Amino acid sequence: MAGALEGIKVLDLTHHVAGPYCTKLMADFGAEVIKIERPGSGDPARAMPPFAGDDPHPDKSLPFLYLNTNKWSVTLDLKSDAGRGLLHRMARSADIVVENFRPRSLPAMEVTYESLSRDNPALVMVSISNFGQSGPYRDYEATDIVEYALSGLQYIFGSNEREPIKHAFSQAQYKAGANAASAALIAMYHLMMTGEGQRVDVSIQESIATGLRDTTLAYAYNGHVKWRQPREAGEIPRSPVATSDGHIVPIAFGGPNWDAIVEFLGSEELADEKFSTPELRVRNSAELDRIVTETFAAHEKFDLFYRANRIRGLIYGVVQDASELRENPQYVHRDYFREVSHPVAGTAEIPGPPLNMEGTPWAVDSPAPTLGQHNREVYCDELGLSNDELARLAAEGVV
Amino acid sequence: MTKMALEGVRVVEFGQLIAIPYATKLLADMGAEVVRIESCTRLDGYRVSGFYKNDTSGEFWNRAVNFYEQNRNKKSLTLDLAQERARETLRDLIAVSDVFAENFTPRVIRNFGLEYEDLRRIRPDIIMVSSTGYGHTGPWSGFGAIGYGTEAASGLASVTGYRDGPPTIPELPYADYTAGEHTVFAIMAALAHRAVTGRGQFIDISQTQTLSATVPEPLMDFTSNGRVQGRAGNRDEIYAPQGTYPCAGDDNWISISIRSDGEWVSLCRVLGLSEWIDDPRFASGPARASNHDALDAMLAQATISWDARELESALQAHAVPAGAVLDGKALLFDDHLNERGFFEVVEHPAGTNIPPLPYASRPWKFDKTPGSIRRAAPTLGEHNSEVLQDILGMSESETEAMEQAGIIGTVPVRPRATVPPSNQLLLEQGRIVRSESDFEEKVRERFGITQ
Repeated sequence: MAGALEGIKVLDLTHHVAGPYCTKLMADFGAEVIKIERPGSGDPARAMPPFAGDDPHPDKSLPFLYLNTNKWSVTLDLKSDAGRGLLHRMARSADIVVENFRPRSLPAMEVTYESLSRDNPALVMVSISNFGQSGPYRDYEATDIVEYALSGLQYIFGSNEREPIKHAFSQAQYKAGANAASAALIAMYHLMMTGEGQRVDVSIQESIATGLRDTTLAYAYNGHVKWRQPREAGEIPRSPVATSDGHIVPIAFGGPNWDAIVEFLGSEELADEKFSTPELRVRNSAELDRIVTETFAAHEKFDLFYRANRIRGLIYGVVQDASELRENPQYVHRDYFREVSHPVAGTAEIPGPPLNMEGTPWAVDSPAPTLGQHNREVYCDELGLSNDELARLAAEGVV
Repeated sequence: MTKMALEGVRVVEFGQLIAIPYATKLLADMGAEVVRIESCTRLDGYRVSGFYKNDTSGEFWNRAVNFYEQNRNKKSLTLDLAQERARETLRDLIAVSDVFAENFTPRVIRNFGLEYEDLRRIRPDIIMVSSTGYGHTGPWSGFGAIGYGTEAASGLASVTGYRDGPPTIPELPYADYTAGEHTVFAIMAALAHRAVTGRGQFIDISQTQTLSATVPEPLMDFTSNGRVQGRAGNRDEIYAPQGTYPCAGDDNWISISIRSDGEWVSLCRVLGLSEWIDDPRFASGPARASNHDALDAMLAQATISWDARELESALQAHAVPAGAVLDGKALLFDDHLNERGFFEVVEHPAGTNIPPLPYASRPWKFDKTPGSIRRAAPTLGEHNSEVLQDILGMSESETEAMEQAGIIGTVPVRPRATVPPSNQLLLEQGRIVRSESDFEEKVRERFGITQ
């Protein structure tokens, strides 16, 4: 079965994580993605750890192998006139261009929406950047942790007795990548209906700030400034709690149901009158914290998880590490991890479909490309360059 | 009127809380007509908790913060799906819609006769999206879940947290947003496919899978190298130092990330610590990474005398990645976001006594079809007549009869508000860092609200 986006052509001027995740989503659901890499070193993500077999080889970066499935790679020096010429020729047949350079970079190389769409007015161009294409922080430098700080997520993350923290790895970038893929398809849909192309500006900061529930509204509605997690809130925590063999997130849902929680945990101490109201639990929070800690430590996490899910109002979550996730019966049943064979990196198991489209399934037909693997197919077969011309461009360092 | 990218797309939403409502909210912002199916007997959890000025009197279900946050631009149709006439009405609505989006457990959907096979008979090219904690099939498919639990299960929580502490998740159902983002993508991919082929389909979103898809690093380090990673704290695998350091005042912080020797030199100069530049312990990225604990202690001593925003500006002036840790109020008042028009001021229905307030808009800006918040979330059953008469062509007397039979309504049956904790309790619990009594005036002033 073909993917949902079969026939959509994407010119991929992205690198690192945010842009490549956007174009990966499109490629894994059927779009034709041509990735432009700089000659020599290619996408800097090729140097991102961890590596297959811990070997820091440009074709063995595990994040790179994951983020670039189903794409074609061509090398192109965008700083050269010849390189820019080829880029603009490729843009003529593209539906969507995605880029995640700094806002100043492409214009400085004379690559703009106007120039790329000159011969192809029905072009969608999606730009992903740290803080968007305008505004006082436009040219700020950022990594994931700086995005967490300036987007409001870090302040409410961690313990209120310590420094704020962030999610591990590159969540801000992935979030922006997913949003950019949605935005590209919304613009593409408008193009399909009306023939009109347009430019889309996706901000990584705003990608996080859009998904903070009532963090700003708590202030606008009640003057509250939300905080990080207290150690002893006088409540059953809604953050991971240690069991005998790991951690569980003991969510009670649907309002106050203290009695049901106490009954489920089977703790006589918690049934005491001194914990019977929220105010009393706060007053006796140190003791409550001790009892709760001891109670959970006496249970195994999957036992609690499976039992809680049979009880109305209790929705427990179980913390799983990578090894547990790999063996998880739900993931095994849904065939989540998928094997991909790569000519250099060997066989790797990657996280599979983020979602199942039953009519047009997710599929990996080809592994992440080696650097410039498809130069001949794109420059000779599609753009009609001769072998000699390609050889000359290679000698000049353009490709 | 401004053009809308998704004009003409009709979505029926049978959703609750965030995972589906957030996705359809973004579609509604971009022009889709979203009809939300609600129940007078079983209100959305976000209608019954967290209210404007903590007021639980009267029609509190039309004053709830998270309901307004997730449901602007939508229409509300109440249907008592226990009655066959209501189920028939819903089927009639689906027959003239493009997308049916729900996030209940498969059992609920089966009981209402709303499975994909049922909908296909009504509308052959319908796109149905089902968003569940762990996916529509498999041994965990029947389990309820909210974002805190799916984040735990996804593999992300186990590598997140202080390096000497337990797995940690933030103070909000983060995974629901990741699921919602991927849901928008899936719906748009299905709409594009349908535009070309005429075929609809069933989309099965596992909220946990969408989040696992964004943490390949530790998952593949295990599948390829057999390594189970520990918790990362604020550190990065390459950039060093990277961390969050205290600044002047109470609970003020700055996050700094150093990607190169050049940035390290700039950091030392800005902090007035030039003697560190030639210190061999910090001469290269790997050296700084292996002396990170010592470096953190030294940096914390240097940053503590700085104002966080001033240090951010000083470092950014030297192209060093740094940002003050903004709290919810600082984010709402942030100059950059407001210059970009990120928050949009929305008026609330008359009778709610809520003044116009600023809401976070969208993660994208389109130059031809920008999208907008055109109206606040609906009051319960606000669009009953409009949907039944304008979309389904019923007469006024038919809708009146339905109201009398209790099939539709605008007043909940035995509504119960979750009693809001007092400011005092929230402060004692440490759930909020402070409560400001003059917030109304400050918000009005910042956003130029005159009402």
